[in-house]
Amino acid sequence: MKLIFAGILAGLMATTAAKADEMVFTSWGGTTQEAQTKSWAEPFSASSGIKVLQDGPTDYGKLKAMVDAKNVTWDVVDVEMDFAIKAAKDGLLEPIDFAAVPKADLDPRFSNENAVGSFYYSFALAWNKGAVSGEPAGWADMFDTKKFPGKRTFYKWSAPGVIEIALLADGVPADKLYPLDLDRAFKKLDTIKSDIVWWGGGAESQQLIASGEAAFGQLWNGRVFALEKDGADVGVSWNQNLTAADVLVVPKGAKNRDAAMKFLAAATSPTGQAKFAEASGYAPINTKAKAEMPADVVKGLPDAHVDGQINLDMNYWAEHRDEIAKRWYAWQAK
Amino acid sequence: MSVEAQQGIATPRIPAGLGGLLPALILIGLFFVVPVLALLLRSVTDPAPGLQNYAALLGDGTYARVFFNTFLVAAVVTIVTVLVAFPVAWMLAIMPAALASILFGIIILSMWTNLLTRTYAWMVLLQRTGVINRALMGAGIIDQPLPLINNLTGVTIGMVYIMLPFMILPLVGTLRAIDPMTLRAAALCGASPLAAFRRILLPLSLPGIAAGGLMVFVMSLGYFVTPALLGGTSNMMLAEMIAQMIQSLLNWGLGSAAAFILLVVTMALYALQLRLVGSKRAVGGA
Repeated sequence: MKLIFAGILAGLMATTAAKADEMVFTSWGGTTQEAQTKSWAEPFSASSGIKVLQDGPTDYGKLKAMVDAKNVTWDVVDVEMDFAIKAAKDGLLEPIDFAAVPKADLDPRFSNENAVGSFYYSFALAWNKGAVSGEPAGWADMFDTKKFPGKRTFYKWSAPGVIEIALLADGVPADKLYPLDLDRAFKKLDTIKSDIVWWGGGAESQQLIASGEAAFGQLWNGRVFALEKDGADVGVSWNQNLTAADVLVVPKGAKNRDAAMKFLAAATSPTGQAKFAEASGYAPINTKAKAEMPADVVKGLPDAHVDGQINLDMNYWAEHRDEIAKRWYAWQAK
Repeated sequence: MSVEAQQGIATPRIPAGLGGLLPALILIGLFFVVPVLALLLRSVTDPAPGLQNYAALLGDGTYARVFFNTFLVAAVVTIVTVLVAFPVAWMLAIMPAALASILFGIIILSMWTNLLTRTYAWMVLLQRTGVINRALMGAGIIDQPLPLINNLTGVTIGMVYIMLPFMILPLVGTLRAIDPMTLRAAALCGASPLAAFRRILLPLSLPGIAAGGLMVFVMSLGYFVTPALLGGTSNMMLAEMIAQMIQSLLNWGLGSAAAFILLVVTMALYALQLRLVGSKRAVGGA
């Protein structure tokens, strides 16, 4: 039964299957995938002769359908790290062939047996200077509606970040965040619920802050970088910035496994990572990449703000993803 | 001719007609019936055989709220769409054909524009710092921005705008088929314009309203992008919840059950309308 359903789905999607000297790379579209194409896929094709077809956006439902139907048309997929950990447990991923992908210089925070880092990012506090008087100093200020009135924007989906921010703002020390005290987090979030505007995607977060629709918010640092590049009048606080990562995975049964591993080696190389970081403002997961980057770019990366930086616990999230999601959406719908 | 003879002539026609329909039936079977059956099966087998997915959906306050929201939004959108579309359709029905075809072109053109683009345009218009609020505040009519977005108001405005063509088109057809002499006759008999509308025009246009209304209602039930962008989290509709279950939580059993409940309720409403309005009228036959 499962097979029939998944087969229908995968059959409908099997439009981008790659030939022998080709492979398919899938990511989230937009400026991120453009940067990945330019920094990784194009140089890789030029040196290896393997053509990289682009597909997207990443869709976990599709990935599962392909693996279930044993008709996998994606060879490398950019996914969130907590999903990758859970997907590996569910048997959806190929192990990484570390004979083909050099491991020594990869940041161990963002790689494991079934995934190598794609890039890492921080949630930072950004604000529209025209809409905020004074400078918010940290997450606690996002919950102080007297001192900082106005709408505040947070990431809409159940994902690492907002729960931790609420707990930090409520005075939980960074090393005591996990296991997450959900009751306490939702109680804290309740105090500003009517002032929250949610953003569902990166472009939306930029639009909200740039227009002043939200005075300040929790943004991906790459989006703050893009706002600054566009000349928007934004301020940013890196205090207690929260790191999370995207990783690259190979779905179980991928047809071009060998080409995929070669692609991973190129994408995680110091040069590939340096180029991507320069184009996107997201941080490299190869520790040697910084040496190849201009100094002013290095300054704007989460790497330059490790003081007080907190790593969101992807293993905890992978384990508790479903139960947190259930409470999250129930709370939002109230 | 006897009754038997009539049937004798009529019977061979049915298989012949069916034969011609066969390709269409296979197509519908393959692309509609089989997937729906697969959906139903998955909803009672994933992750384990049984009705636990339905129990989880129907026994939980959050899901109940989402179901309620879905039907509330669809109903409000349908009513507002009818109210806005009727005068437009009437104008299109009675104006000179050349002018009407230009207006038709404009209405159809809006349907060809990308849905996401149109929805983002509404965000720019409706938000607190948007065009409408700025203009009203600049003119001194209000001092606080009106809450036009991230709530039911925003969802209704955005969806009515998108649904209008689906209401206007069937309605114009129905209104054009009404003999204008009936209205003149009503006036001659002393009916006020209001009475003529209420007793002549409205009853005669009901088939068009029913056809358009059903289409708008059913399309609204499954709507995704507009409520997600113009609504708040408390306006979440079923389609968005199903997408979450399927795409990000990978809980396909629960998502399938939710989709199947939506399908059953929609079919029940359709059947109800067939009984109330009659099958010909419900599908737009004037």
